[in-house]
Amino acid sequence: MERIKIPTGEELFTGYLPNGLHYAILPKPGFVKKYAILSTNYGSLDSKFEVPGKGVVEVPDGIAHFLEHKLFEEEDGNVFDRFAQWGASVNAFTSYTQTAYLFSTVDHVYEALGQLVDFVMHPYLTDENVEKEKGIIVQELRMYEDHPERRLHKNLLNALYHQHPIRIDIGGTPASVNSITVDWLMKCYRTFYQAANMVLFVAGDVDPDQALRVVKEHFPDSNGKSQPVGSRVFPEEPETVHQEWVEDRLSISRPRCAIGFKNTPVEDGHENLRRQLVMGIVWRLIAARSSPYFERLYNEGLIDDSFGASFAGTPQYSYSLVTSETDDPRRLVEEIKQIVQEVQKGPISEADVERIKRQLYGGFIAAFDSLEYVANSYIIHHFNQTPYLKYLNVLQSLTVDDVRQAANDYLDLGKVSVSILWPHGEDNESDQG
Amino acid sequence: MDFTHCNLGSGVRLHLCETDKFNTVTCKMIVQQDLARDTAAATALIPALVKRGSQKFPTTRQIARELEYLHAASFSSDVLKIGERQLLEFFFDMVDPSLLPDGEENWKRGLETFWDIATNPVTEDGAFVQEYFEQEKLNLRREVEGLVNNKRAYALARAVELMCPDEPYGVYRYGSVSEIAELDNHEEYKYYQSLLMHRPIDIFLVGRNLDLLANEIARLEFPRGEAAELRPITTRDVTEERFHVEEMPAQQSVLVMTYRTSQRYLDPNYYGLLVCNGILGAFPHSKLFVNVRERASLAYYVSSFVEGTKGVLTINAGIDAAAIDQTVQIIKEQVSALQNGEITPEEIEQTKTGLCSSIVSMADDPPSVIDRNLIGLVNGEMRSFDDVLEAIQSVTAEQVRQAAQGLKIDTIYVLKGIAGKE
Repeated sequence: MERIKIPTGEELFTGYLPNGLHYAILPKPGFVKKYAILSTNYGSLDSKFEVPGKGVVEVPDGIAHFLEHKLFEEEDGNVFDRFAQWGASVNAFTSYTQTAYLFSTVDHVYEALGQLVDFVMHPYLTDENVEKEKGIIVQELRMYEDHPERRLHKNLLNALYHQHPIRIDIGGTPASVNSITVDWLMKCYRTFYQAANMVLFVAGDVDPDQALRVVKEHFPDSNGKSQPVGSRVFPEEPETVHQEWVEDRLSISRPRCAIGFKNTPVEDGHENLRRQLVMGIVWRLIAARSSPYFERLYNEGLIDDSFGASFAGTPQYSYSLVTSETDDPRRLVEEIKQIVQEVQKGPISEADVERIKRQLYGGFIAAFDSLEYVANSYIIHHFNQTPYLKYLNVLQSLTVDDVRQAANDYLDLGKVSVSILWPHGEDNESDQG
Repeated sequence: MDFTHCNLGSGVRLHLCETDKFNTVTCKMIVQQDLARDTAAATALIPALVKRGSQKFPTTRQIARELEYLHAASFSSDVLKIGERQLLEFFFDMVDPSLLPDGEENWKRGLETFWDIATNPVTEDGAFVQEYFEQEKLNLRREVEGLVNNKRAYALARAVELMCPDEPYGVYRYGSVSEIAELDNHEEYKYYQSLLMHRPIDIFLVGRNLDLLANEIARLEFPRGEAAELRPITTRDVTEERFHVEEMPAQQSVLVMTYRTSQRYLDPNYYGLLVCNGILGAFPHSKLFVNVRERASLAYYVSSFVEGTKGVLTINAGIDAAAIDQTVQIIKEQVSALQNGEITPEEIEQTKTGLCSSIVSMADDPPSVIDRNLIGLVNGEMRSFDDVLEAIQSVTAEQVRQAAQGLKIDTIYVLKGIAGKE
């Protein structure tokens, strides 16, 4: 177990079990709550993969998410009740790239930790309990369908990408969910729920040695060799966008607009982290409340507090996203394109960049007050192989030139998609598409 | 993680929670006002206006620059609704100065910035800057109209409105479109000043070295008159169940059921009601989750929560339009089961442990350390962590049954999803 001093003065304990499981433990003396999350590097993007020694398979959409629901089944009683007896709350989520199981508790942390490992590592699936879950998941999908941000974002990704599996809804469709069987679920489970493909993070007032002992006891074959894991098979994704302009309708009060800038993902972790930070600065220069651009668009009534921009950079996909409610989506798109051009041309104020770096510095330190945030960030960075604990060093190294260069390298006005969501009944005569 | 209290005079109080547990220092200032149809919009507009600029930082942009400079200090402001009070909330936090390269000097600067934004807005001709006022009026109207964008939140708000058409509790916390339209800049500014002058003000601080800060705060000057009395909560007996359906193009329907409770925060069996609600619908082991979701597969989410100041228990679920009657029936059966005392020892134990665990956990999050006291603030009786935990642990099955028997169904509201022009 390695001991690492982190910038808040706290210590982080990390290491690998012989079977390949990576773990990290962050003791937080004085905190009453303990939080643990066990995550597998397997999400909705893994729709087509190679099973070691058995060739390539393509699975129904939404299967990683379905599996997440079903791991809560136990032969003798249900997982919720086990955790409830300790006053612990247990939950899970599925994203494009991971499926994670987590709990928080005040007492009985070691029992709960053992239970977390047990239920994730011992699936109990039957035709009956799989069938029963379908109605629940379909209602979950219906709820998301009515969710404007989610719809807007999904439409944007479908426009940005030609055939990348990011186009697939994380939960699948009612039809794909209804086609899922125990066999499919178990095939995915055996392929991806291998120690070498998983990470465990424990945070709170715990003893690292004891936590590690519990994990070793409960993790199947924890002293064994690491087993082969399935590998994603991605179709060739063109660099261009699939569609430049898409529109849709929903029961909402006013139009919403999302603008995406596609760029090529990078596998190298250090480079990826650098890209995330420098793009964080670029978008703050444009979209933060401290930006003259934000000020002008807000005062003109084109945007409101819903306006925001961010950069998503993983080894599998990479894009920037600008989103806002607005009465005039077409004008907003033109404004954003012009602003991006201005930033690309420069000059960029050194004082602005330094001030934003101060903000990111403070934000990184403050985040360690949230067990959940730190644990979840650590895991995402681990799967992306970005060195999270080098965050401040990378941040400090960034210069004004880096920022301007990044705006030119990663914001290509030739690779932009726009997604608009209109209220029912509103005119959407478009001159562009 | 409880507060020590200190009276600064004329209705202003300071509450300090000294701890070295966090990497941040957190401050909240709460101004209480009666929730009323004719003032709700005026109160709700204040948070939006103060964010636009202070005397020292006259634009949002200048405020944001100052906060960034202070290593990610943050300021925010909003209105909350607790019972029949509308609470004006000003929030500020920053990284603990001792963890920053040039932190020490920034702490005093941070506090002064917070105070300037919250109490000293930029003015023009004795009112808010007219341009800001018009923009924020428009944004607030859009906020109110935008409630419909979140189907679940919209359904919950509509149910409360239909349940309490002539009680203050039925007023939406951001007011209504017609009230917002009538707001006048000069009156708004006078109203804001009168709130700061006459309404109860409570300042909460969580972090380390608070003595220094408390001294600074005690030195801050602002005009203060006599503190006004606030109105007590209104109650009403229910005579019959009311049923409302509204249709909207949507994939899913939202069911809301409201019950009046016989117990409220200051009543002897309030914690019996909390345990009762926990067994009914606050956890994955609760009757609603087990029966509506796990057994009948009708919903992804189904839960209940208690508003303890007004005395309302609300159940809500996202379901298929075809399943409305069946879901209402299952929910009513579960409430009846509780009223008949069908409660297992496991249900009680799991629920008490779960409630205590979630309350204790609030001690790990600075804003929650403050927020858990707001119900006590409104009801005039703040309770320590230990008192609340003990009260929950001592609840008996009989008390749960009695609390359940005090539930009277008031309104069933369905936001019915119909196939739209999708």
